[in-house]
This record gives sequence, structure tokens and C-alpha cells, in this order.
Amino acid sequence: MKEVKLFHGPNHPGMHGNFSVHLTVDGDTVKKAKPNPGMLHRGFEKLMERRLWMSNIALIPRVCVPEPDINETVYSMAVEKIEELEVPERAKYLRVIILELARIAVHMMSIGGIGGPTGVYTAPNWALNERDMILDIFEKITGHRIYHMYIVPGGVRQDINEEILEFIENTINDIESRLKDYYEIIFESPIIHKRLKGTAPLTKEQALDWGVTGPGLRSTGVKYDVRKKFPYLVYDKLDFDIPIAEESDAYTRLYLKYLEVKQSIKIIRQVLSDIPKGKVRNKLMGTALKWKIKEGEAYGKVESSRGEFGYYIVSTGGRYPYRIQVRGASYPQGLYGIEAGLPGTRLEDVSIWLDTMGVCSPEVDR
Amino acid sequence: MEQKKVIEKISNEYGIKKIKFKKIENQQFKVKINKKEIINFLTYLKNIGFWQLSLITAVDWIDNNQFEIVYNLVSWELEQHIIVKTFIPRENPRITSIINIWPVAKYYEWDVNEYFGVVFDGNPNNGKELFLENWDDKPPMRKDFDPLNYSKEKFPEKEYKNFRMKRKREVIE
Repeated sequence: MKEVKLFHGPNHPGMHGNFSVHLTVDGDTVKKAKPNPGMLHRGFEKLMERRLWMSNIALIPRVCVPEPDINETVYSMAVEKIEELEVPERAKYLRVIILELARIAVHMMSIGGIGGPTGVYTAPNWALNERDMILDIFEKITGHRIYHMYIVPGGVRQDINEEILEFIENTINDIESRLKDYYEIIFESPIIHKRLKGTAPLTKEQALDWGVTGPGLRSTGVKYDVRKKFPYLVYDKLDFDIPIAEESDAYTRLYLKYLEVKQSIKIIRQVLSDIPKGKVRNKLMGTALKWKIKEGEAYGKVESSRGEFGYYIVSTGGRYPYRIQVRGASYPQGLYGIEAGLPGTRLEDVSIWLDTMGVCSPEVDR
Repeated sequence: MEQKKVIEKISNEYGIKKIKFKKIENQQFKVKINKKEIINFLTYLKNIGFWQLSLITAVDWIDNNQFEIVYNLVSWELEQHIIVKTFIPRENPRITSIINIWPVAKYYEWDVNEYFGVVFDGNPNNGKELFLENWDDKPPMRKDFDPLNYSKEKFPEKEYKNFRMKRKREVIE
């Protein structure tokens, strides 16, 4: 049969962001896949070299739109490592709240979002509601809904009061009460079972070769989570589990995300009850426009919703960073994974593959 | 495993006594190594548990006329993160590819090749396009590339005078 070349994206309902995949298909089966990034035209890394240490805080959240807070956190963590700056205890707890709320928002969007490529259209509408409720919390804390610019080197921008803490607790209680409905509409749905079970399998060897982290790696049975193995902030004081699965397919990866939402809720509850009082920011010397960071380099990393996310920062002691490299969490599966993993899948499963592996295009194309 | 023990293990087993390790924090340390040693050293690290290649990147040290190639490896068994660095000359920069050790290195190296012009011997994608389409200037992440000049040359300022006058006239009439 004759092979046909097909462009999946950048304008495609199953595509996340400005990224495209060139597919060579034979009938309905994908024979060859080639990722084609480079449509963002922004050049984050070059832009960062031309900006002050502080003004970068306003730029970096744009690297990943659904989950911007990880960028601020890893940037601040790497700067703190170079500068050997301590972060106040209360600020660490506040950062954990922000990170876990963002994780819930992204996971809910991903769990509901699977309704798009499979045809369960009720789920995405419900899930966006949950995300919106979390954005309401962010608006109360930081004044912004999408890009928060809340976490800065040395701590967080401002303290939050008891009223907001109570609001957070009410919201997560609200979300938790509805999680059962998601289980019924998605994980017990016959359509989802038929489309997702056995689709887009991943073996442990493949995951290690491709460098996949996050839910993708954990679904193959490897218990690797940056929060447990390289504890940052106060994750070593908190009690939570890392859900893993034995056989990896689209269904188990999605189900792991569902379990992780529950763990995140558990973490936030602990943080809300344990959070100490005190100041929230240790200032670097002088005003923010005159910061000079010591000479040195460091790699800051966190566990994002898609895997290990990191920034490699080099400073020469000046007012501008010398070099910053973004290690996007979906870089391995977004480029090498597409090339090696997509051939053999059916055309209609391509969107499911991209959705459950969590490919976020702007962090691939920095 | 503690960082000291890991460092001791590496310097005893690997056999080169001159390797200098430097601590960045409790679970992160860096090491500088000769360009010729890089394949052997990374293979050795993979064998002792540094399975995950986290990142390959480059830094342009234009004053010293050198490129620094940086490999970030993670071991979740030893719970350590190692940053391996090597320096190569800025003129005709070449280094051996490591795609036989980690297949995913193909794309990290392609990235560095495109943005810095470093050639990785053994990587099939040297010189091909990934992110940049129809790029005709020097590699953009080098320090001597000025994006402001580039955009001025590529997209010169246009005058929109006539357009504005027309609109004004329309309003007056």
C-alpha cells in the first residue's frame, strides 16, 4: 500500500501547543514519526541572558503555561544554591502549597482532557471547573491567575493570611468530594477502557533509554520521584506515597495521575496544619535591580506533573545570568519518544499517546 | 549513599587520581574531565548506577576561547546528581557523541549542535535543522551573536507615514 505523509499539528485539536509531528502513515498505522518543534519563535534562553536576575522572574513562567510555578521554583532554587542563601521555613511551606495546587490543576486538566481525543466530552468541561477553582486561589494569593511570579530567590513575595488558608482548605475539600465522579465517568467508562487499555505501551527499558521521568517512568514500575529521592523544600517532613504501576499503557498512566491528585490533597492538608509562623523572605543584598549573584553554577530540579524539571544556571558574578538552560520535563518524550515510540500505533491513538505522556511544547522549544 | 563515599568510590575505581570533585550541595557535585576520557568516564558512571541522562548542554566561554560541554547525570539508587564538564576549543569544536550509551542523547546533542555549532562525531544529525528553519547566521546561542542587530538587519524598520495620513484624511472628510 502507498504511504502517505500527514501533518499532525500545529493546528490540530489533539495537539498541545505550537508543535507538530510529521507522520508517515500506511493505511491507519503510523510507520514513521518526526517531531517538528521550532514554532514558538521566542528564544527564552537567549532572552534570559539579556535580563537582570530579577526581571527574569517575569519571563520564566511563560516556559510552561499550564504549570508555571515550577519555573520560578527551580530558578530560585538554583540561584539560592549558588548564593548559599537560606529560605525561611514558612516560605518553604508556602512554596509547597503553590506547587501542589498547580499539580492538582494540571493533573485534573490532563485527566479530563483525555475526553477530547476519546469522545467523552463531559469530562473536560468538569475538569476545567476544578482548574478554575484553583486559579481562584492563586488570584487570592498572588493577584494573578495564570502567571504568578510569586516565588522569588530568597522566599516568596508576600505572606498569606488565615482567611486564604481556610479558603484553600474549603476548595480542596470541595475538589476531593467530586473525585469519585471522575472515577465513574472516566475510569469506569467502557469507551475509555476500549480506547486506552493496551494503547501506547511503554516498557521499562524504553523508558530508561528515552530518559522518561514522572508518571511515564513510574508506570513501568520504577519508583523514582524527585520529591522522595532528592527532597527539596519540606517534602522530607511530609508523609505521602508514590503510586506506581507494573504495566504501562495509556490507562495506567492516566490512573497514576488520578492517584497523585489524592496524594497532593493529602500533602496540602498536612502543610495547612503544620505551617509555622515567621517571615517569608530573606532578602538578597540591595534592591532587586542591583543583585549580583556569586560566581558558580548549579542545577535546580523539582518533580513537575510530567517529570523531572530543572534549570542549569551559570553565573559569572555579574548582574546578568551568563547562561541558563531549561531542562523541560517532557523534552525526552517530546522529541526522542515521538521518534521511537509512535511508529506502530494507530493514527487515532497519536493524540492519546501525546496526551498521556504529557508533552508540553514550549518547554521543548525554549 | 553519602556523597563522600560516592566520590571515594569513583576516584578509587576509575583509576585517575587527578580528578577533582567539587561539592555544590549535599546531593549534587561537579567534576571536570579531559575530552578524551569522556566516553570511558560516562560509561563507567552508567555502570555504577547513574542511569539517567538528565541534560546535555554547552556554555560559551568566549574570553577563554572555549566551549564547555556539560553532562548532567542522575542516580536514584545512590541519590546523587553529578555534573560532568569538559572543555573543547572554540575553533572547529568537535567531541565524540554518546548516543551509543544513551539513545536520547541524539536530541540533546542535536540541540547543542544547532545552537552552538559544536559537532558531535557519530551523531547522524549534525548540521540538520531541528528548531531553526532556514537559519543563515552564526549559531544563535553563541555569545558573539547579537539578536538585536540580527533583527535590525533581517527586518528593517518600515515607514507607515502614508498609511497614517490616509486614515487622517478619511476621518476629516
